Amino acid sequence: MEIDYRLERPLRIEARLTVAGFTVLAGASGEGKTSLLKAIAGLLPAEGEPYRGWPPQRRPVGYLPQGYGLFPHLRAWENVAFALPERSGRREAALALMVRLGIAGLAERFPDALSGGQQQRVALARALGRAPELLLLDEPTSALDPATRDAVFSELVEEIRRIGLPTLAVTHDVHLAGMADRMALMAGRRIVQEGTPREVFAAPVDGRAARLLGYRNLLNGVIETIVGGYATVAIEGVRLRASAPAWGEAGQRVGIAIRSEDVALGSSGAEPEGCNALALRLVEVREEGLSLRVAAHGSIALDILLPRSSPTDGVAAGMSATALIRPEHVHLFRVAE
Amino acid sequence: MRGGFPVASSVGLAVLLFLIAPFAALAFATGWRQFHFISGDFAAVFVSVFYSLVALPIIALFGTPLAWWLARGTLRGKWLIEAAVLLPLLTPPLALGILLASLYGPYGPVGALLEKVGLLLTNTAPAFVLAQIYGAMPYYVITARAAFESVPRELEDIGLTLGKERWQVFLAISLPMARLGVAAGLALAWVRALGEFGIVLIIAYFPHGIPVKLWVNLEDSGLSAVYPLLWLFFLVALPLPLWLGIASRRRGIF
Repeated sequence: MEIDYRLERPLRIEARLTVAGFTVLAGASGEGKTSLLKAIAGLLPAEGEPYRGWPPQRRPVGYLPQGYGLFPHLRAWENVAFALPERSGRREAALALMVRLGIAGLAERFPDALSGGQQQRVALARALGRAPELLLLDEPTSALDPATRDAVFSELVEEIRRIGLPTLAVTHDVHLAGMADRMALMAGRRIVQEGTPREVFAAPVDGRAARLLGYRNLLNGVIETIVGGYATVAIEGVRLRASAPAWGEAGQRVGIAIRSEDVALGSSGAEPEGCNALALRLVEVREEGLSLRVAAHGSIALDILLPRSSPTDGVAAGMSATALIRPEHVHLFRVAE
Repeated sequence: MRGGFPVASSVGLAVLLFLIAPFAALAFATGWRQFHFISGDFAAVFVSVFYSLVALPIIALFGTPLAWWLARGTLRGKWLIEAAVLLPLLTPPLALGILLASLYGPYGPVGALLEKVGLLLTNTAPAFVLAQIYGAMPYYVITARAAFESVPRELEDIGLTLGKERWQVFLAISLPMARLGVAAGLALAWVRALGEFGIVLIIAYFPHGIPVKLWVNLEDSGLSAVYPLLWLFFLVALPLPLWLGIASRRRGIF
């Protein structure tokens, strides 16, 4: 399903993207993601397709706001029955929906007696009662317990896949996009990139996209040569080998993005064939959970995340080390000339 | 004392005593041995209760859309409408009564017109109800408006996305969620309507409701004739607000 929406108020937003399967739209807070969803649901004035000019009650969408918006004065089954036509068998129909989502046991409870994950299911069942052709989820994990968040969310994604309903979920947590069928990135109140998570995570189109995707090392350089599928990029006197992008050509200015966890520490001379090796001094070393976060300076500055599976003994501020980066982990993106 | 707020609780207790002292005084002042009603007392109770029961649905029926409009409407110059609702509330009842007399009285523009179709709005039952509506409706509208404003707009929006029309969303979500405040507004309107004196005095001195009858009893027969009717007044005025207050705190009153 193609979404093409333009809003003027409360923010100026332009969004064109494809929703196929479970699609996640990620962007920083304040990008207007919630406004976009409300516009698609018909709750904010906007121009765009589909449903141009239709009032919200005519649009076949299921909208789950942040916190799910269950009606607090209605029992779970009454919430689910809300969109069902007023006739006999309404309760049975609601219960059937709840059985389908594995929440039949919660039918008599009021929303304040449900956990975040249970509320989400009730809200989903309620939205399904409307027989929507598009599901809109606003920050689907914001009301979930952090400990079970990922598990509950991936179950939700599975459930929605099983139902086979195109879904657009917006979140500021790009990590959730990893579980989706498709993802899009929003920056500067526009969609800057979309594709499968694998495509998008591997090849951010620009610095903003890279930052959203969690790349902490963003550099500028120039392609010197392209040989055998590899590009050599000059960055402030240092040369890095990178997988050559299809659009790349010698002499082109490019942006370089490297993930912190893709940098390893080793000793000079011992690097694998073709691997980039940079001599650096470790400026700061601090624990980050079970990993070590290292700031290293040399010809360029690098942010490095060492997992506990890597040899971290003796890693300390002040020491010299060689940073090893495989060429396929050096991502190039186009910059404005 | 539990809670550890010695200043607040002792001041609170003192204020409480201050507030209920007049009611305690009534119990002592009433001459229980000579307790009797005088002619017209029961008629006054009937007039007050019956016409308040007429006025209250009218207030709810027409005040609710206005309250809703004030809570959710997004038009320019809304403050003017808000001021208009406050106006009858801020006007001293006696002054409002005079204003009503000059509008609905036999020589007023509307009054003269209505008189032609046989509706007399001075010292009649309709005049009595009219006075009650003017006295009570603003209280209902302002209270119900605040109640509607407290309903999260998001929940009403969701109701729309679930395919319901606006009026269905109002009945299924807004009204039940605002029921505490709406019930409070109805209770307030009820006691205002029953107790209305200033406006009634000017345009509906007849038929005598309880407040006017109290005044007449005081003038004609003295305090001893007032107390029994006053007890009766409390007896009929208080159950409804108390019941609404208690019932609306439970789920599913509407």
